[in-house]
Amino acid sequence: MVLSGWEALFFWIFAFTALIAGLLTVLARNAVHSALFLISSLVSVAALFILLGAEFIAGVQILVYVGGVMVLFLFVIMLVNVSAEERGSELIFNSRAQVTVTLLFSALLAFGFVFAINHGVQSLYKRDSALIAQVAEQRQKQQQNLQVGATGTTRLTKDTERIGSSLYRYASLPFEIASLLLLVAIIGSVMLARTLKQEAAADDVDTQLLESKPEG
Amino acid sequence: MGNFLTPVFAVMLQAADGSRLAEMKEGIAHPDLSKFLVIGALLFIIGVAGVLTRRNIIVIFMSIELIMNAANLNFIAFSRYLQDTGNLNAVAGQVFTVFIIVVAAAEAAIGLGIVIALYRNKETIWIDEIDLLKW
Repeated sequence: MVLSGWEALFFWIFAFTALIAGLLTVLARNAVHSALFLISSLVSVAALFILLGAEFIAGVQILVYVGGVMVLFLFVIMLVNVSAEERGSELIFNSRAQVTVTLLFSALLAFGFVFAINHGVQSLYKRDSALIAQVAEQRQKQQQNLQVGATGTTRLTKDTERIGSSLYRYASLPFEIASLLLLVAIIGSVMLARTLKQEAAADDVDTQLLESKPEG
Repeated sequence: MGNFLTPVFAVMLQAADGSRLAEMKEGIAHPDLSKFLVIGALLFIIGVAGVLTRRNIIVIFMSIELIMNAANLNFIAFSRYLQDTGNLNAVAGQVFTVFIIVVAAAEAAIGLGIVIALYRNKETIWIDEIDLLKW
């Protein structure tokens, strides 16, 4: 897809927002600020998904990732972090040596990635240039054949329909395994976050029996 | 400190992306795949730096979410590239992204459960204070 005009402007706006919000997530002192910056980053990346034509995934990202996972993070921060704030100015980064090595490593990775991506994408374009020219008109026709939306400004894409049919036909086994994974996660997180009293009440045993005694 | 690196990389992106020259030579409009991939790579690197440098265990978890989000962006960019080069109905990247989001949610739930259990026992969230197994 070629970004031109408004699309290019939106791309740069959302890309910069995602990067800067990601950076501030890592640099913020307060954990709640970190969480809010991460939410901004996730929403910007969802906007980038819409630019790439993946509207369903953008919706899933905002509903599940931002609306579920990040809210869970905020709950746990409230449970756990509040007393840490009251200790005054705690160090937020590890030792100086560790931070320096990490920055060096990140710089090397960054240069490596950017070079490798540009180089690799050039070879991809060389290999596929004929196909790209061919498909461009087909894609244009396909876009024109879509139904116009209710407001008359956009078209109703078939992205969700394609993902749904793919999930239920070709990827149905991973789909079922994913649901099993979610079941395990639910049971696991309930078990992990129980207090001693709740565990004792569940099995109807004495709390003394459940307390771990250090050996020696 | 890190704030000036981002515009530098953006400029590098534009300059090193020689695809504009190729476009002008051949008259084809190449898809802007490399831009999305570079943004994904930079988000990934920011996440890795966060995991390696922060002391607060919850911020480490949030950096891991950044890493997975960067991988999602990568997948979706390639899914769009597949659609642009032949298979108009290719949604393989997007289906995989759904699974990554599912795994990220499950992992966040369990990880935060562990954090709560840890906090109940040790009253701390700083990872360098959790060193019982250190030799």
